[in-house]
Amino acid sequence: MNYRKITSALGIGILTLAVISPLLWAGEPGKLLMETIDKGFAILKDPSLKGEEKVQERRQMLWKGISPIFNFDEMSKRALGQHWKNRTPEEKKEFVELFTTIMKDAYIGKTDTYSGEKVVIVSEMQDKKYATVQTKIITNKGTEISVNYNMSNNPGGWKIYDVIIEGVSLVNNYRSQFNNILIKSSYKELVQKIKEKKS
Amino acid sequence: MGIKKGEKHVRSSVLLMFVFVFTICVCKASVQAESSPASEGQPAETPQEEKTPVINKANEDGELKHTVSTGQSDNTREEDTTPADTTQEDEELQNDDVESEPPLVKDPLQPYNRAIFTFNDKAYHYFIKPIYTGYNSMIPEKARVSVRNFFTNIKMPVRFFNCIFQGNMKDAGTELARFAINSTVGIAGFFDPAKSKFHLEKHERDFGQTLAKHKMNSGIYIVWPFLGPSTVRDTVGLAGDAALNPLSWISYFFLTPIEGFGNYAYDTVNDVSIDKGQTYESITKPAIDPYIALQDAYVQNRIKKIKE
Repeated sequence: MNYRKITSALGIGILTLAVISPLLWAGEPGKLLMETIDKGFAILKDPSLKGEEKVQERRQMLWKGISPIFNFDEMSKRALGQHWKNRTPEEKKEFVELFTTIMKDAYIGKTDTYSGEKVVIVSEMQDKKYATVQTKIITNKGTEISVNYNMSNNPGGWKIYDVIIEGVSLVNNYRSQFNNILIKSSYKELVQKIKEKKS
Repeated sequence: MGIKKGEKHVRSSVLLMFVFVFTICVCKASVQAESSPASEGQPAETPQEEKTPVINKANEDGELKHTVSTGQSDNTREEDTTPADTTQEDEELQNDDVESEPPLVKDPLQPYNRAIFTFNDKAYHYFIKPIYTGYNSMIPEKARVSVRNFFTNIKMPVRFFNCIFQGNMKDAGTELARFAINSTVGIAGFFDPAKSKFHLEKHERDFGQTLAKHKMNSGIYIVWPFLGPSTVRDTVGLAGDAALNPLSWISYFFLTPIEGFGNYAYDTVNDVSIDKGQTYESITKPAIDPYIALQDAYVQNRIKKIKE
């Protein structure tokens, strides 16, 4: 009798562990993502970095903390789509730099209005090479914004190559724009347009 | 209130419109069923889509599927151009394509659309934005959210009937329960206890989605003055939603056109004042070509909503 009790207890224990453990150990990409997001929030909440006069300093810190998780090479490549392979190595390098600056200017500035938004992971899917982490941002007004991160496994770890906000893929959005410009004008003109935007 | 003779015509024409929309719906569905399996626009033939891992969100249990083809694009292009042998597999392949690269909506009216887009952009920056900035400074956010809750609650029939039209009885039930709770406990809809206390989420359903679920094509892209991006299908959808919206019935029976418009405008400004302004600006501001950015964002977002 005793023996049976012990085995069943063990069995139940193992079963519960098996059920719980995935909850305790968020998958690696999701964990990495949440760590980065928390790092960002910590900077935004840091009282010594608050206020108008600290804007530049705060943005710099934030960029330093967050940018390593993005694979800007891959994002630029995907954003340029079929036009990427016709570019020379120098052009590619220049384009990655330009695209990175667009991302930086566009989205780091958004954080200035941070007011207690929270991020939670909804679900996480991954195979060997690719992962999708579905999250939602909950604003203090109770609105929920679905944000999915597509990540890929690189030698340097998991990195984001696309962000999908409410179904709108950032990379696809820029690809549509670039394609549309490249139908009518040359690559040089596209670069010119991006540079004008920058200034 | 006395009903004038002329109004009878208007009312019967609203009814006619309903019948018309319904017929289109049915016709489209039957035509689609008979002929080609290509449902959403043309399958995009751009080769770069092969690089994009495809995320299949179709399964309800949230199971994701990555289909990453690493082969040369020549290989996959062949697959694309094979005559449509309508096997199950082919259909799945095409659906995946649609998801990976939203087919660029047809935009033959681009010169016109761009003009309207510019007009809307100016109207937003010089007219609507100053209005809601002033409004925001006068009315606290909590009050604005309450006003939105109130309008959202009134517009329940739009969501309820579209849930039914889309065959989603469960969500229709949720909407009904939400309406009952929020109209009473939520004090005429100004609060949303259904969500905060009962965890009943709102289900945004519109007639455009309904038409899409019944296999109507999106048609060409149209930009409407003030209303913004739309397609032929979503424009018909807007009309359908207006017919289901009690607000339009109230303004029709009890209000003068000016009051009715004021009602609508207030609802819109209040909406924009809460978050829409940010959404619009976060799409167009960092864009290289704001017109295309907004168009693409609209189309991608609609595809997501239709799949939900």
